[in-house]
Amino acid sequence: MVQSPGSALISARGLSKSFESLIAVDAIDFDVHKGEVFGFLGPNGAGKTSTMRMIGCTSPRTGGALHVMGMDPSTDAAGIKARIGVVPQTDNLDIELTVRENLEVYAMYFDIPRDVARSRIDELIAFVQLDDKMKSKVEPLSGGMKRRLTIARALVNQPDLLLLDEPTTGLDPQARHLVWDRLYRLKQQGVTLVITTHYMDEAEQLCDRLVVMDKAKIVAEGSPRELIARYSTREVLELRVTDEVRERLKETVDGVAERIEWLPDRVLLYTESGETALSQINAAGLHPDTALVRRSTLEDVFLTITGRSLVE
Amino acid sequence: MSAASIVRRNWLVYWRAWRSSFFLSVLTPLMFLSAMGLGLGSLVQEEGAFGGAGYLKFFATGIFAASCMQSGVFSATYPVMGKITWQRNYEAMLASPLSVRNIFFGELGWMAVTLAQISIPFFGIMALFDVFDSPTAILAVPIVILLGLSCAAPVFALTATLQTDEAYTWLFRFVVTPLFLLSGTFFPIEELPAWGRVLAQATPLYHGVELVRQFTIFDVGISALWHVAYLVGLLTAGILVGVRNLERRLLP
Repeated sequence: MVQSPGSALISARGLSKSFESLIAVDAIDFDVHKGEVFGFLGPNGAGKTSTMRMIGCTSPRTGGALHVMGMDPSTDAAGIKARIGVVPQTDNLDIELTVRENLEVYAMYFDIPRDVARSRIDELIAFVQLDDKMKSKVEPLSGGMKRRLTIARALVNQPDLLLLDEPTTGLDPQARHLVWDRLYRLKQQGVTLVITTHYMDEAEQLCDRLVVMDKAKIVAEGSPRELIARYSTREVLELRVTDEVRERLKETVDGVAERIEWLPDRVLLYTESGETALSQINAAGLHPDTALVRRSTLEDVFLTITGRSLVE
Repeated sequence: MSAASIVRRNWLVYWRAWRSSFFLSVLTPLMFLSAMGLGLGSLVQEEGAFGGAGYLKFFATGIFAASCMQSGVFSATYPVMGKITWQRNYEAMLASPLSVRNIFFGELGWMAVTLAQISIPFFGIMALFDVFDSPTAILAVPIVILLGLSCAAPVFALTATLQTDEAYTWLFRFVVTPLFLLSGTFFPIEELPAWGRVLAQATPLYHGVELVRQFTIFDVGISALWHVAYLVGLLTAGILVGVRNLERRLLP
């Protein structure tokens, strides 16, 4: 077994994926360390899912080097897959089986002995709180329950590494928080998590470290806090103003904030202190319709880096 | 070993509804043999026709092989497409240590099980109708399983390339049904015009039907080797192309 550079659980150098007419991942470098929660953040089509699929050995890379737990996906897919768990973007549960059978059959795919599987499945069903749904078929389950079952299924081989592709997309707030809570517990148990998301709050809640992907490349890397410090300011002042106030604001606002963004419906002032900026504006005799001071979030970082134009 | 887990998964699903599928696999041969074999057969009594075997035996052995071809083809169409496209079972399997090759062989193994589940009751009904003249008849069961798999593997290879199920209408209308009717199932291919005979001899069903008849009602000849070689060759080609196509589809 060849050890990857350093102690990284996943190590990618110049990792690339191209399809016939499309470069999905363009020579990216990253390391994921044992025990951390690592995020891929980016708009649709940025290359997050392609990267995840290469790590999960279900899409052969077209360039560069990739090591997952010291193994190369192109030569040791079965060895890697035995030690990872995958939660795909869209649930692919076995709809012809019950909740419990889904886990039993999946354990068979991993060649886990039946008696070992039995006790492990009991624990997993309790862990994702599906005890009373054990004998139910998959179809009638809610979106949140299906997601939890998919997570339980991904844990049936007690993986060292869990890959989650947009784990909470389409879930209601309660279901999302329950999923986050389970993922946080897994992290505490020492499972390394790799997550893709375009929810900024999810990335901020869960990720120790993340990379922002845009147009097939990694454009920023760091902890959520570092990224906010580097690409945004501590606070943001959001103003809604009439057209008249907007024109006058343009003349007086210089120097009030580090950066100002003029959106069609709002004006965003990136500043150390939103209150100070607002009082300066008020002092100039300008009164916005609404004014909101808030902390900077990853969303500000994300939009600063990847731009506001709609990606489709 | 790993492919076996896929067979077990399918068995688990099948087991829930085994009564209805077993009932069908008994009812189908009963209806065919009574209606066509006895009913139509009583009208078709030309001296020396059908190799002197009589219509019931001729027809029963033909429809036995043809049913297994149909079942083999069908099992590689909608059920496989569903697992690729709609239910995405294969995607889930591929996240486990299973490989595309495991999936292909697992599914093919399961098709062999379903073919056995159809052909064994069919064989039993034929025995009740006193179709068999030779103890080698028992080999007709593995022969039709081979026939079914030889037809299933190339269709599996086709399914791996399809985005929608439209092509199946064409497959059944212009391939399976003509094969079913014209491969010597209902009448000897000698009745066909010369070009029809050549065409019939190129089809897998013809070889399957010939083999079944040799082992059940006629004498086993040296040509049996050629018929087996044809079916094994088709199966091998189907597996090679099928695994490649499925890899391209599932591991983009």
